[in-house]
Amino acid sequence: MVNTNTVQLRRPIRIPWLYIYSVLVIIYLFFPIGIIVLFSFNSSPAVSFPIRGFSLRWYMEVLESPVFLAALKNSLVVAVFTTFFCLSLGTLAALALTRYRFRFRPFVQSLFLMPLSLPGLFLGISLLTYFISLNLRLSLGTVVVGHVIYTLPYFVLVATARLERFDRVLEEAAQDLGCTPWQTFWKVNFPIIAPSMIGAALIVFALSFDEFLITFFVIGPESTLPMLVWSMMRKSIDPSVNAISVVLMLASLLLILFLSKVVDISEIEF
Amino acid sequence: MSPVHVFADRVTKKFGEVVAVSSLSLSVEQGQFLTILGPSGCGKTTLLRMMAGFEEPTSGRIYLGGQDITFVPPHKRPANLVFQRYALFPHLTVFENVAFGLRVKKIAEKEVQRRVERILALVQLEGFGKRQVNQLSGGQAQRVALARALVNEPQVLLLDEPLGALDLKIRQQMEVELKLLHAELGMTFIYVTHDQEEAMTVSNRIVVMRAGQIVQDGTPEEIYANPASTFVADFIGHSNLLQATVLQTAPSHLSFLGGSYSARHHPGLREGQAVNILLRPEVLRVFGDAPEGFENVLKGRIVDATFKGPYVDYLVEVGEARLTAHHSVREGVSTFNRGDAIFLAWSQDDALILSS
Repeated sequence: MVNTNTVQLRRPIRIPWLYIYSVLVIIYLFFPIGIIVLFSFNSSPAVSFPIRGFSLRWYMEVLESPVFLAALKNSLVVAVFTTFFCLSLGTLAALALTRYRFRFRPFVQSLFLMPLSLPGLFLGISLLTYFISLNLRLSLGTVVVGHVIYTLPYFVLVATARLERFDRVLEEAAQDLGCTPWQTFWKVNFPIIAPSMIGAALIVFALSFDEFLITFFVIGPESTLPMLVWSMMRKSIDPSVNAISVVLMLASLLLILFLSKVVDISEIEF
Repeated sequence: MSPVHVFADRVTKKFGEVVAVSSLSLSVEQGQFLTILGPSGCGKTTLLRMMAGFEEPTSGRIYLGGQDITFVPPHKRPANLVFQRYALFPHLTVFENVAFGLRVKKIAEKEVQRRVERILALVQLEGFGKRQVNQLSGGQAQRVALARALVNEPQVLLLDEPLGALDLKIRQQMEVELKLLHAELGMTFIYVTHDQEEAMTVSNRIVVMRAGQIVQDGTPEEIYANPASTFVADFIGHSNLLQATVLQTAPSHLSFLGGSYSARHHPGLREGQAVNILLRPEVLRVFGDAPEGFENVLKGRIVDATFKGPYVDYLVEVGEARLTAHHSVREGVSTFNRGDAIFLAWSQDDALILSS
């Protein structure tokens, strides 16, 4: 028996392990990014410590470089077209997969998702072989084809998940209240599924915008932004790469911010 | 008699091999509050959905106000449906939900405002217009669903188990509100439910369905007092149903529970025929000593007593059978305990013969 009169009940010192662990993970995740941001403002061309002084020189250089601007334009064009095709093909595919009960439906569904599990390297090589055997000239068009194959599974996944959850009774309610099928789609289906679709489209856009591996195999004489960065890094460690990275990072941050404003993130599920 | 408003003419609906509704005819008068009552799978919802236009009959016709609407799509019918689980549009506010039908019909916005506000007041939801529908309680959501249908001033309002998802107390309150709403609007209401108490509360006419057909049609009082079959008797109210053999036809004497007892006259009986006897719990009187002045008395023993407030429910064992009796608790009336030997008594006219 413990004699409670003599035992001093002292509060044990708790070491906040979880707290420490979380801080370490955050440092691990963000330290490299912080370094890049730091060096992008470094006035010296040497990418090493100590930092000499603050300058926007690399940003000016990048924004005045026609190579960079061309690559940026190419990346945007590819991402926009990829998103467009993904949105139209993916929505239709998701509608078919959720609305119709046809033979081999589960099989077809897994076919749609298969590219997810294929290595990008494999996709890139097989697409290249395919295009060459068709005598297709490699261009941004072939890049778009590659990107659509790569991003479509993500889109179909999100879209089917959303459509599966759609309560079909709402469509009946709309028809009961006087809507034609066409009006039902635009007044009920579309506004309810739109946030998920926009969210999925933005993810597709982001995936396409910085895709490297597949692009590397199927691109023609033009260059996208990831290709440009890669070629610059091959020659030397050019500090303007840091500036490009920071610009890209800012762009994705803005995208996420926009996503969270427009879309209820919890609506998007994988 | 009011004119016939909704008329189903020998309607049959098959889903593959399954016959949901089987050559059913039904006419509903203008302004009636008709309830289609039946167990799940009896075809009542299918019948309602054919009236709303969501199902097409395999054969037969449906008329509304004299017009054949059998193949008219739902959006062109002057009928509105209140759905089982409300089916409110989650992306719209309460006001926008209610205004939906009017706006689809391109009614002037000023008129929309006026009508929506009036109908929200009618269902006691003034000031709720700006709410999101996910902020509503079940009862409120159901009122919005009702308002959304009623605001279109349909010729007939169809209700598919609209109170099924609500708690008992709110359900009972909504039942009364529905009845008052119907009295105020004078619209034809066709209501589907599997809940017999709900059916008796709200409607002035009940149609009992079984296996795709109508088995009885009448006022709640008629159906309760004179169920046409064992099925209806069992479905409506609490019943003691006993197997009996006809001993004598006029006056009716039957053998059941090891004795011979009299029952209300029933035409077309044969001696030796097997029938069912219906004794409602409220017609059985319970006495401690053998009572005088009853045609039928039998001995039993109480196996369970449940106090229900205004009355006590006794479960009485008579030989192999168990009967339920409602015993009113009033001053000067003795109550009994489990194990007590008692007498059950009923008058001849309270025992109904049902062909089995």
